[in-house]
Amino acid sequence: MASTAAAVPFWRAAGMTYITYSNICASLVRGCLKEPYRSEAVSREQVHFIVSKWANGKPEKPSIRSDSPEV
Amino acid sequence: MAMAALRREGRRLLVSSVSGDSSVAARSAILSDSELGPMGARSISTQAVRNRMKSVKNIQKITKAMKMVAASKLRAVQVRTENSRGFWQPFTALLGDNPSVDVKKTVIVTITSDKGLCGGINSTSVRVSKALYKLTSGPEKDTKYVILGEKGKVQLMRDSKSSIEMNITELQKNPLNYTQVSVLADDILKNVEYDALRIIYNKFHSVVSFLPTVSTILSPETVEKESEGGKLGDLDSYEIEGGETKAEILQNLAEFQFSCVLFSAVLENACSELGARMSAMDSSSRNAGEMLDRLTLTYNRTRQASITTELIEIISGASALTG
Repeated sequence: MASTAAAVPFWRAAGMTYITYSNICASLVRGCLKEPYRSEAVSREQVHFIVSKWANGKPEKPSIRSDSPEV
Repeated sequence: MAMAALRREGRRLLVSSVSGDSSVAARSAILSDSELGPMGARSISTQAVRNRMKSVKNIQKITKAMKMVAASKLRAVQVRTENSRGFWQPFTALLGDNPSVDVKKTVIVTITSDKGLCGGINSTSVRVSKALYKLTSGPEKDTKYVILGEKGKVQLMRDSKSSIEMNITELQKNPLNYTQVSVLADDILKNVEYDALRIIYNKFHSVVSFLPTVSTILSPETVEKESEGGKLGDLDSYEIEGGETKAEILQNLAEFQFSCVLFSAVLENACSELGARMSAMDSSSRNAGEMLDRLTLTYNRTRQASITTELIEIISGASALTG
């Protein structure tokens, strides 16, 4: 309990949101699984989407987020 | 029952006529072009009708296949959707869902699909988004769109270009999973400023009914304001463990709530999309079948008429010779 309480400012100070933080934790937990279950769980970590920001009513160049679980 | 039998019969006739009588038909077509003028009854060509029938039949095959694909995908997604409901329900119990809250900066997250041919679900969520935009915008207020999916982008680009903040596509290339959606939620949170996020999606009710739904997520500051005598008065009765302050806890909670609600919203919308596509493809296969029936009838009637004419010509010619 004390360790989590101490850890909070660190990841927040590093510019991470709670979502990123929990994702890193989840990915670590998945890494602890044994083999048949592990690859199955890793397949649930795949990330793929395309983001484009808009400025002044026009889309900017889209950026692809793919297969990097953003850790 | 009778309808089905008729349809079956029509198809049988069609198959036999295409395979067996094609030479006859072709000959009559040639005859009509070269020897008989437009006055002769034999000049009615069946070629056009046959081509039309062929294309309708192909379209029907495609729509049937699409329906089956949608049905099999739907089953998998439906299970996941039903399981994901446990994600957001605790949050709604804790923080509530306050669609009526009045804030300055609203971000409308419209969830649509990337692909079309799925009935009216995309227009429904776009329509609801536009209505909500009108409701939340006003002097000193700022409302922005974040659009998921290609179809919503196309529809909203027409008249609200300047309020679009972000647009995300190709979310459904892999099967939807929480990691993906949470990375996306993170991206959205980092790029927009908000007092309240409103997620608009089609909630899956059954294969034929979808409810356009609005989920509201408040920013930590708004939650804090509301909990002090506002709409979330019960929140103070919870005890906070550990060393964090209430503001920190609320910030974590709001972020996590957003990603959970977004996850379930994306799943619900995917489910509705598949269901809508299934029923749309079902009705279009049925329409194609009806059209095929009508065309078969026309085709057979024309064929019969030309045969009858030929017979009459032969018989009258023979009787003229003998008589």
